[in-house]
Amino acid sequence: MEKYIVEMLNITKRFPGIIANDNVTLQLKKGEIHALLGENGAGKSTLMSVLFGLYQPEEGEIRIKGEKVFINNPNDANALGIGMVHQHFKLVEIFTVLENIILGVEPNKAGFLEMKEAREKVVELSERYGLRVDPDSLIEDITVGMQQRVEILKMLYRDNEILIFDEPTAVLTPQEIKELLQIMKGFANEGKSILFITHKLNEIMEVADRCTVLRKGKYIGTVDIKDTNKEELSKMMVGRDVTFAVEKEEAQIKEVVLSIKDLNVASKTKKDNAVKNVSFDVRAGEIVCLAGIDGNGQTELVNALTGLEKAVSGSVILKGQDITKSSIRQRSILGISHIPEDRHKHGLVLDYKLEENLVLQRYWQPEFQKGGFIKFDAVRKYAEELIDSYDIRSGQGPITAASSMSGGNQQKAIIAREVDKKHELLVAVQPTRGLDVGAIEYVHKRLVESRDSGKAVFLVSLELDEVMNVSDRILVIYEGEIVGEFDPKRTTVQELGLYMSGAKRSTVKENNHAGE
Amino acid sequence: MKKVLAIALAISLLAVSLVGCTQDTGTGGSGGAGGAEIALITDKGNIDDKSFNQGSWEGVVEFAERENISHNYIKPEDASDDFYLAAIDLAVTGGAKVIVTPGFLFEVAVYQAQDKYPDVKFILLDGAPRNADYSDFKTNENVASVLYAEEESGYLAGYAAVMDGMTNLGFMGGMAVPAVQAFGYGYLQGAEDAATELGLADGSIKAIYHYTGDFDENDTNKATARTMYQEGMEVIFACGGSVGKSVMSAAAEAEAKVIGVDVDQRYDSETVITSATKGLAESVVQVLDSIYNTDSWDTFGGKTTYFNAENNGVALPTVVLDDANADAFDRFESFTIEQYEEVYASLVAGSVDPIREIEVSDPSGAATAEELTDALSLSKVSVITR
Amino acid sequence: MQENNNINKKKKFNLGNIVHSSGFSSLTAALMAIFLGLVFGFIIMLVARPGSAVAGFRFIILGGFNRLGDVFYFATPILMTGLAVGFAFRMGLFNIGASGQYTMGMYFALYVGFMFDLPAGIHWVVAILAGMLGGMIWGFIPGIFKAYLNVNEVITSIMFNYIGMFFVDMWVQNSSTMYVSNMARTRYLPQSAQIPALGITGSNVNFGIVLAIIIGIILYIVLEKTTFGYELKATGFNKHASEYAGMRGKKNIILTMVIAGGLAGLGGAFAILAPSAISGSSMTYEPINIIAANGFNGIAVALLGSSHPLGIILSSIFISHIQRGGTLTSLVGFKPEIIDVVIAVIIYFSAFSMIMNSALGRFIRRRLHHDVDEEVAETANVVTDHNNKEAE
Repeated sequence: MEKYIVEMLNITKRFPGIIANDNVTLQLKKGEIHALLGENGAGKSTLMSVLFGLYQPEEGEIRIKGEKVFINNPNDANALGIGMVHQHFKLVEIFTVLENIILGVEPNKAGFLEMKEAREKVVELSERYGLRVDPDSLIEDITVGMQQRVEILKMLYRDNEILIFDEPTAVLTPQEIKELLQIMKGFANEGKSILFITHKLNEIMEVADRCTVLRKGKYIGTVDIKDTNKEELSKMMVGRDVTFAVEKEEAQIKEVVLSIKDLNVASKTKKDNAVKNVSFDVRAGEIVCLAGIDGNGQTELVNALTGLEKAVSGSVILKGQDITKSSIRQRSILGISHIPEDRHKHGLVLDYKLEENLVLQRYWQPEFQKGGFIKFDAVRKYAEELIDSYDIRSGQGPITAASSMSGGNQQKAIIAREVDKKHELLVAVQPTRGLDVGAIEYVHKRLVESRDSGKAVFLVSLELDEVMNVSDRILVIYEGEIVGEFDPKRTTVQELGLYMSGAKRSTVKENNHAGE
Repeated sequence: MKKVLAIALAISLLAVSLVGCTQDTGTGGSGGAGGAEIALITDKGNIDDKSFNQGSWEGVVEFAERENISHNYIKPEDASDDFYLAAIDLAVTGGAKVIVTPGFLFEVAVYQAQDKYPDVKFILLDGAPRNADYSDFKTNENVASVLYAEEESGYLAGYAAVMDGMTNLGFMGGMAVPAVQAFGYGYLQGAEDAATELGLADGSIKAIYHYTGDFDENDTNKATARTMYQEGMEVIFACGGSVGKSVMSAAAEAEAKVIGVDVDQRYDSETVITSATKGLAESVVQVLDSIYNTDSWDTFGGKTTYFNAENNGVALPTVVLDDANADAFDRFESFTIEQYEEVYASLVAGSVDPIREIEVSDPSGAATAEELTDALSLSKVSVITR
Repeated sequence: MQENNNINKKKKFNLGNIVHSSGFSSLTAALMAIFLGLVFGFIIMLVARPGSAVAGFRFIILGGFNRLGDVFYFATPILMTGLAVGFAFRMGLFNIGASGQYTMGMYFALYVGFMFDLPAGIHWVVAILAGMLGGMIWGFIPGIFKAYLNVNEVITSIMFNYIGMFFVDMWVQNSSTMYVSNMARTRYLPQSAQIPALGITGSNVNFGIVLAIIIGIILYIVLEKTTFGYELKATGFNKHASEYAGMRGKKNIILTMVIAGGLAGLGGAFAILAPSAISGSSMTYEPINIIAANGFNGIAVALLGSSHPLGIILSSIFISHIQRGGTLTSLVGFKPEIIDVVIAVIIYFSAFSMIMNSALGRFIRRRLHHDVDEEVAETANVVTDHNNKEAE
């Protein structure tokens, strides 16, 4: 029985209204990287929270090294050698890296901290595993990638043997992902056991030894990676065949809809502008994709385009009309639809019902109000139409609280609202972020539909697969400047990567992306 | 979930109804006995306001405990005539036979209540019953209206301060209402007479005379007091509710002295050398005594009685509470209880009779230095007002 | 079933979700909180005066029913300040300045009451409107500061409590028409400026409460049925989304603060213009540099009423009811201070309704696990069906 270091046998965990884990079994061998695959909401995080002591299962048992254990809280988990890097880091922002690492297990003599010892151990660990960090930086000052390294060091510092990584690559740049996967392999070689939660198939194929698949809370199966492929895994995950390629016709490009000229937008954090002298056009019937690594001015550019931020100089012209100084509402009336980057922050009023969210851009139009009073009948009818035609699923239809909907359906609601609204230009910023394969497919289809109906589509994306598959034209942004324009049919991911990282402009700035 | 709710609500209703039942059996027989025979209605402020409420309440307690009579106080729900009257209603409902109302704010309410409850006796301190527009003053047989000779009390304080060797006297009144004015006028007259007795030169006593315009403890009042002390005032007669607290804290910083008001304030601060008190407790006890013991309610009922030196209605404190051997005059440099008794006797005899009211042109009631000097015939004392 | 994990995680932080998910309405939560508050209040009474605790408690709960007129009378001003706080809160603004707005409203009403000579029947109406105007002005200024200078409305409105109060005290004291110095308060208002009483014997309850309740209902309609209410709530729930949707945040901030100020101002007017049963008497204002307590009581009222206009109507009546009953406990020998403590405890706990809600929800869920299991099984089936569809 010593074969498995962790066994979670027939785990069932219920929440009111839902069975998050239904008789799930997971067995982790010593020294392996074991991927836990599933769509959003498949029950991966719940299962790991059970293992980490955050939830108690109603049924089933957990064995560590063959012995049955009860894990009542994270401290118990820690004592058993289990460490976890959470999707949302649990770090104290105003503490230094070193202080965060030792937090909770501070070495002390008679109550006085013994930092020297701790520092030596942290530096030793960081060198051994190539986890570059500065022990004295404040967490708030370092990049997300570095923060993740701090989380990993926390586990190592506690001599954890079983490491759980919850969606660790979601927040990283492609280069950082590569580094992380290398580090994980290193751990496995040292005999540590790793549970790797993800829904990204490429990463699993690259590092994992075995993979357990969950779907809708149920255990689907465990496979050896060397005996399988991406298609099979995705079929297990989604329950059907998935096409990765986006099917679309040749673009029918027409007149210029959006024209941006010499646009400069100020940065909130830095002295120089976040967007520098950007000029480009988007025409009806094409999808133009702005590619780049996060934080290179995409957000500011979109904000200036949609009116959320003021431009320093330059102009934004929509259908021949200068809208640089127009209000958000005016731009919306003139035909800009905007699928925002952060659907919780901008896209939805989570405390509102679905139907109220569906008229967020249109509640003031005569169709939905009379004399200042909202025509709730009309709103309900309209919501039902959208729910029907855009296949938005929710517990109670139009009156579902937006907060209780799944991420995919929230995004569908936003897309329905923005696409159904009269528009000339559809601005979609990372519209598939955090969505699972099925939902991504849906979003892409809608974008292409919008294009085919003669609208101009401006897509901002960080995912190179998406950039390559969906767009008709690619613009690469680096440090606020457009550094290249490509035809997706005549370029490669590698070439884009070079431009995105700034390597094509200046080899000296090679490391700059890490500082973003 | 609905079931749960229903159960929880049912339990809470049950609890309420249980409470109802036990009440019926528990105190059903006691009638209004939960209330009290002697009730005091508090003015604005609390029972421990170190002023009217507290002073009169001490009288009630002293008498009622001695005679073993039930007593209680009631706080009106709002500061208006209607709710003063409502508080009286409540006291009567609770079985009150005698109601003490401390302060002139009760004048209108008592005017109403005296007709409404002819069998209840009212002791109205510092005021006389009247209707709202002052068109009718009427003190029924069941009301004892008690006023105080504040000018005599203030006189004693001013006299004591100068006799003790002080030549720089401050006065900080609250608002220029009659009682405060009388305290102030008496204070200046007492100082004048003491200076004359000591044979001091004209203008040798400096006085700063000020109304704060409020009865509060606040930074403005403290700053005013601090300035006065910095300008050389040795003592300030703090005459206006919580203004005293501001003055005391300024005095503590300046290591200077304070004269308290209404009740003995020596317990509030080491800086208080003496207090110009009204015999609130004393007068309440006297009136209650006339009801319960000497059967002489006529002495007070149906009229206004001035409490002054003659009937122990004003005083400087001569005893320290809880310590029979302590000297209430220990905070004076030289002024003694013998000197005090001498001047008190002259007040009792009427050989000294301080002026209570003077003509003031300002509508706020604040007199100018000239008005004070002329009307009170001051010569030894030179007054500055601010 | 998608993202149900996330929702469960979010619950810890988002109380609102619990309300929805566990089927507890805010009304139920408020009732539960009140119940707990009453229990604690009773315990304090037991400690203070064991012999009379039961009788006293009975007064607190039932006493108000014998003096309904007064219950409504005292509910009037706190209902208005409660609305002033609650309405602004729906937009995410913490209008802690209700006291200043209340005092300003009081002054404007007094001014019209003393300085204008208008016929009976019109005089009090004009005075009420003036009170509303006064409050509006005092709400407008923090609103402007917030909208255009991004100064936190809490800071401005706290300061405006003092500024307003000192101004009013100064203006009152400087006017011999209004102020009687030897009484240290305002004169009695003319009869024509007093709000007509409703004619309930033994109480001064007046048309103020009728107006206040109507205003509460109007606010409810504004919030729930109009585009303005839609914008206002959207801004309160999610400022960024409202901006994204092109709503004019600045205009709405100012408008909301003006309305909130007007509501508090009306509260002040209703309080000061209340009629007197004693001929020639009236309410008076004492300029004694104290910030109006009714402004702060409004915060408790709004909390207990979950910032919902109808909830606020009920909570103001409840709080007034408890207070009126509390006064009666002196009949069984409770001292006013003990009553104050008991009332404060009841209100304090009552205002915790939202927290109560979650704690109670968890408790009951745990207790009635079997019930939940059944429900889960049912809903899970439904959800699975949904997902199957989605998968097709």
